[in-house]
Amino acid sequence: MRGPTVTDDAAIGYYGVPPVKASPFDWKIAAYVQIGGVAGAAQVLSAVAAAAGGRRARGVVRHGRWMALAGAVLGPPFLIADLKTPTRWYNMLRIARPTSPMSVGSYILTGFGAFSALAALPAGRLSDAAQVPAALLGAGMATYTASLLSATSSPFWAEAPRSLAVQFACSSVAGAAAALSLAEQAAGRPGTAATLDAITAAAAAGELAASIASGHDHKEPAVAGALALGVAVPLACHAANRLSRRPSRTLSVIGALAALAGGALLRHAVIQAGNRSTERPRDTFRLTRPPEPARLPPRR
Amino acid sequence: MTALIPDESALTAGTTVRPGRRYGFFTDTTLCIGCKACEVACKEWNALPADIPGLTGMSYDNTVDLSADTWRHVLFVEKIAPQAGGERVTTMPPFQSNWLMMSDVCKHCSPAPCLEACPTGSLFRTEFDTVVVQQDICNGCGYCVPACPFGVVDLNLSDGKAHKCTLCYDRLKGGLEPACAKSCPTDSIQFGEIDDLTERARGRVEELRGLGRDDAYLYGAPGTPGATGGIERLNAFFLLTDRPEVYNLPEHPTRPAERFAPGMAAGLAAVAGLTLAAALLFGRNGGGDGGRP
Repeated sequence: MRGPTVTDDAAIGYYGVPPVKASPFDWKIAAYVQIGGVAGAAQVLSAVAAAAGGRRARGVVRHGRWMALAGAVLGPPFLIADLKTPTRWYNMLRIARPTSPMSVGSYILTGFGAFSALAALPAGRLSDAAQVPAALLGAGMATYTASLLSATSSPFWAEAPRSLAVQFACSSVAGAAAALSLAEQAAGRPGTAATLDAITAAAAAGELAASIASGHDHKEPAVAGALALGVAVPLACHAANRLSRRPSRTLSVIGALAALAGGALLRHAVIQAGNRSTERPRDTFRLTRPPEPARLPPRR
Repeated sequence: MTALIPDESALTAGTTVRPGRRYGFFTDTTLCIGCKACEVACKEWNALPADIPGLTGMSYDNTVDLSADTWRHVLFVEKIAPQAGGERVTTMPPFQSNWLMMSDVCKHCSPAPCLEACPTGSLFRTEFDTVVVQQDICNGCGYCVPACPFGVVDLNLSDGKAHKCTLCYDRLKGGLEPACAKSCPTDSIQFGEIDDLTERARGRVEELRGLGRDDAYLYGAPGTPGATGGIERLNAFFLLTDRPEVYNLPEHPTRPAERFAPGMAAGLAAVAGLTLAAALLFGRNGGGDGGRP
């Protein structure tokens, strides 16, 4: 039955019928956003480690390049699976449309994948040269998905474009640093892992600041929960390790896993919150309130 | 293909259809009698399936909303029930009996947010300045659905494509007036060239105001509510007599694409800041030589 349920929103709008429609995006898009964001940021951190880390950061450089390539390979199947006509996935590259974040994103993803494949070749001049554009596109991978969501009429995404982008960008960097830290711990290099944990903490702090600036995250329990997991836990673990005389490997691993899981949950919670916000006419009409005093003739 | 009657629209709508000119709808809600002939004509011409039959309790509106299978939707707003925090209406002015009816449709915005969002070029602007989904290109990404500020575009999950009003693109090519406008018995839906329609609509507002309807106004004509936030005009625009929200229309819709650049700039700045922080940390710790004691 298509009839809407009568709620308080019936008093505003038209029988509570949603004035805008929800996106069809589900967990598959959330999974891509997390995988692509972490892969993009991993390439960025790998490039930073290559430039500033010296010899001891070579493990980070190598792992970062592999993670970037892995993400560029694993992510797109989720995107294609979410298409309602997946056999036409290649039409994504049929035109280039600068007003469409999805079109821009398709090219960012394609370029990122191509350069990341070159950068993952055995160490040499070609892979080093390819890493520069791969890292620049990786920064785009960490960010564009948030702007894609904001460039819609779904109130939850549209009302805070800047803070959502900073949130996704920071969460991607935190996740990539966490994944690289896990790899360093596995390789028995706690020193570089500690450096990466500090980067995770810095990114988590940025994510928290952006979430507060958004002014609406606390109203969505799932988003708030994802932030508690992906921000509060890593910050607590890594701060405890910083302050303690004997840094604990367990705490570092817990902090890293929490950052990755929290990032994935955040993407899912934000996408669900945006879809649900379209069902609240009040939110849409708040978003579309005119900036200046209404120009309409007075009500009779 | 030659049409049965060349330039039939000249006979039915008083306008000839020529490529390169801008066409649209002017929907005058004060003339709507809620007969739903437009809904039926649209479904018949475009071979759209019926909606799930059932009674909604929303006055005479059992259609509920525009969707992939419904491209005209007649709203019935009863203003007889107690308004929020007010008294039940007991007297009625001799005008539409406090019962607003409106035939809603795709607005064929210019610029069109759905078209600007479409990554495949499936959504395109036709030679008649209307906005159409090319079914042989759409891959069902669904991004046009949340992009639309009016909740018009919808996915049909049985064919996996986005659908919406085409402003009868096929009929326009054959010199025919769109089915809904042709079937409208009161001329509440008027088809024509945008400039003609706008002039006619402004005249109608003046006429209504002269009759004492001070609340009549245009929605979607340039410089009016609906044509806001980077959307210059709606090629299907309306004459309304109550606030837009009453008709489930946003008073100040915005062009979603304008939110793309600010978001990207903020996000990339955050990545740049964290990159700098990471470089300092890597540089200071030398990638962790010795690390912490």
